[in-house]
Amino acid sequence: MSIQTLEIIRKRLAERPEELSQARKNGQKVVGWTGYNVPEEIIHALGFIPVRIAIGGDDRLVEVGARYASSKTCVFIREIVGAFAENEDPYIQQTDILAFDATCLQNFRAAEVIEYFFKKDVVVLAVPRNFAEDDAKTYFVHEANEFTRLLEERAGSSLDTAVLAESVALYNDIRKTLKSIYIFQAAKDNVISWEEVYDLIQAGDLLDKKEYLTLLQQTLVELTELQQNPVIEADGDSRIFISGSLIPRGDRKLISIINSVGGRIVGDDLWSGILPHIDLDIKEISPAGVALAYLNRTPHAALPYLDLESDRRLKKLHELLSQSKAHGVIYHTLRYCDPFTFKAKETKNVLAKSGIPLLEIHTEYAGSDYEAMKTRVEAFVEMIKIKSEIVEEEAA
Amino acid sequence: MGKQLFRYSEANKEMFLNSDNITFNDGSVVTPEEIWHYLTVEGPVKYPSAFEVNLYQGNRGSRDETLPTSLKTRYLGLTFSARMESAKDKGKSIAFIQGGQAVDPYTAADTIALRPGLVNQWNNGLEYGNDINKENLRRKKSKEKAFHDMSFEACQTGGYEHVQAGNLRIDVIAPYTVLRCSDVSYGVEAHRHGPNKDVKLLNVDFPLRNQADKPWAIEYFAQNLRRLVKTLDEVTGRTTTEDDLLRAIKLHNEGRRLGTELAELWWSADIPPTNSDDRASLVSLGNLETHGDVQASLSVLKEAKKYIAERVKNGVKGHAVIDNPKRLFILGSCVGINGSRSEDAGAIVVGRDDQWSHCSSLVEEEGDPYYNLAKTTLEYPYEQGIEKRAQWTIEQIRKSRADGVIFIHNWGCNTQAAISRPIVDIIKRETGIPTYIHERDLHGLRDEQEQNRVNAFIEML
Repeated sequence: MSIQTLEIIRKRLAERPEELSQARKNGQKVVGWTGYNVPEEIIHALGFIPVRIAIGGDDRLVEVGARYASSKTCVFIREIVGAFAENEDPYIQQTDILAFDATCLQNFRAAEVIEYFFKKDVVVLAVPRNFAEDDAKTYFVHEANEFTRLLEERAGSSLDTAVLAESVALYNDIRKTLKSIYIFQAAKDNVISWEEVYDLIQAGDLLDKKEYLTLLQQTLVELTELQQNPVIEADGDSRIFISGSLIPRGDRKLISIINSVGGRIVGDDLWSGILPHIDLDIKEISPAGVALAYLNRTPHAALPYLDLESDRRLKKLHELLSQSKAHGVIYHTLRYCDPFTFKAKETKNVLAKSGIPLLEIHTEYAGSDYEAMKTRVEAFVEMIKIKSEIVEEEAA
Repeated sequence: MGKQLFRYSEANKEMFLNSDNITFNDGSVVTPEEIWHYLTVEGPVKYPSAFEVNLYQGNRGSRDETLPTSLKTRYLGLTFSARMESAKDKGKSIAFIQGGQAVDPYTAADTIALRPGLVNQWNNGLEYGNDINKENLRRKKSKEKAFHDMSFEACQTGGYEHVQAGNLRIDVIAPYTVLRCSDVSYGVEAHRHGPNKDVKLLNVDFPLRNQADKPWAIEYFAQNLRRLVKTLDEVTGRTTTEDDLLRAIKLHNEGRRLGTELAELWWSADIPPTNSDDRASLVSLGNLETHGDVQASLSVLKEAKKYIAERVKNGVKGHAVIDNPKRLFILGSCVGINGSRSEDAGAIVVGRDDQWSHCSSLVEEEGDPYYNLAKTTLEYPYEQGIEKRAQWTIEQIRKSRADGVIFIHNWGCNTQAAISRPIVDIIKRETGIPTYIHERDLHGLRDEQEQNRVNAFIEML
């Protein structure tokens, strides 16, 4: 069963670099952004074209990046640095300004290295570690205002509140539609796969936002025609939830392995997946209001939180696992991705208390560990399949 | 056959006995006679690994018998573990902190502040009688446990393994997080899932990226410092006032001034007045936290300055320093090269950015002490952006008349490793001095592979 709008989106993605090039010739500027707490609405409202810098899966670029940012930096960041060094990625080529945040310190270091070696114009948004404290929020509001001021300087105009309100409304609609679509992939007799939805989410990193919303709405209409009442139910499938380090465009190694051994992915809490699109509640139309909404979302693992019992990230993981009726978690950690590798054992122990098995897959972008990963994932998928069958039999 | 142990010569005993006492925080003193006894009788029995004549030793204890203050830092190092145990028995509060930060607020709150290296030192000293190999195996075993519970990609594990196992009675984990290192912040968080629930946790949130000129960032960090002092007070049950903090700032400023003067005195000499390790052990006293007792550090530092001034004046060369050694400046993570083996190869370490950046940063004594301390901390040269940090480093390299620069980082130290190349790039461009980047494993004996690279660099110089 094919969703026609997905084909249109693939076509539009192929055309997008040329479109950006034309827009720049017409005087528009492209802001390449990366960071969990970068308030994209502000970039959009200032008239820039926001493009997310998130690429992976190319071990050659990782090696190139290591020449500039050391081999001890996480592979994702190394690949980004390598991509700027080579300047062949069609989206990176089109960036005029970069907006990075310091949620993850390696992201922050990437900003510094790219600024130094490749002479890019970089704006950095600092992010407090004590994000739950009131004084941290006050600090972040100042930082968001400063971030906005630096972008205004580059835009040559001030941020108009009415325009920001339009951008916020547009992004809210995108998030709402994505959430509605996301339910379909996890449903029984699903008409769209998690993989297709994942690609759909990442298309939004690159496409024009208004067009993207239209395409999402069109997708939702198609899905509703095909499946009027999607119901998420546990079934005989090996329902896998993916957590951990991000999986950006270009990196599909783990996903393809899960598929190849018969696992069905039904949910994620990845920074490159659905997570950034949920729980974002903008209460005030201002840089401060937008930034605080970002900071108040489910926090990123790079921001330390010192009380295990009240950790909102873990609560959200439990909630999403419950919603998706997943049987097990594959916890993806990239080499030197400290925010997630440090928490792997803890997350496994926390989920074990709820009877949810977790398999950590620690990997790089090289293909050399493909078979080793496959063996482990296959055993895990088989194990949860047997377990879910036993549960079903007992229920019957 | 037993291992060969280094022994101090009786020939220099008299000179040592004529030197000053060490005075501690609690007002107690230890006399040179007691120190000599410890270094020659008690110490070699308790810690044979520290006296072992072995190429693979890391920072070899001072063998400069005519420089009494170096022997005193040695004494303070060897008695560190016993002193921490004694402090705990007397009800003193102890905090885990980050390397590279000043400890003024901890001193104000009557709390001993220990950075990761000192936490390990405390634990290492709890077991007696080990030779170097046994000691190394023991360290590796506990480190493996931490890697298992946290991440094998951790650069250092912040004492997690010791604190969570209950080996060390640390009351509070409260470092300046993300100052120079990201692993420490993840390490603080890791304590939340450990079995030891008694230890208090706090992130003292050091904001990143050229923040020193932002009033809101200074105020935010000042607020974090207030929260830190409040947390420390919750442990001790006392109330720390702004006056207490001001007094602590003045005390630490005295240490920082003396440490800076001592370093500059050392640099001013044509002939190096000490070897690499002795220089490092004396200059680092300026931060007053090195031995877990600020008064003890201060009293040795004051005396050291007199001895170094005398040596500089008389052109006395440090122990085992060759004529015209190649001068190395070390940058990067909280580690260094093997001083004595590098001296054997014809070099001397004349400075490091680590421990020096905050020693050379004095805190304003007029006005709100929290704000002043926050402002100075945000201005630490080591924590600035690439260009600014590199310019400060170049200044230190020029002052120290270094011939070569090594940027060394631990395996897994993403935060320093990531900017190693741009930093040395700028240094090389602006000074023409040869540089190289070195990655090392923090958790093992100093091996031949590492020394081969260092020696090749020295030979090239």
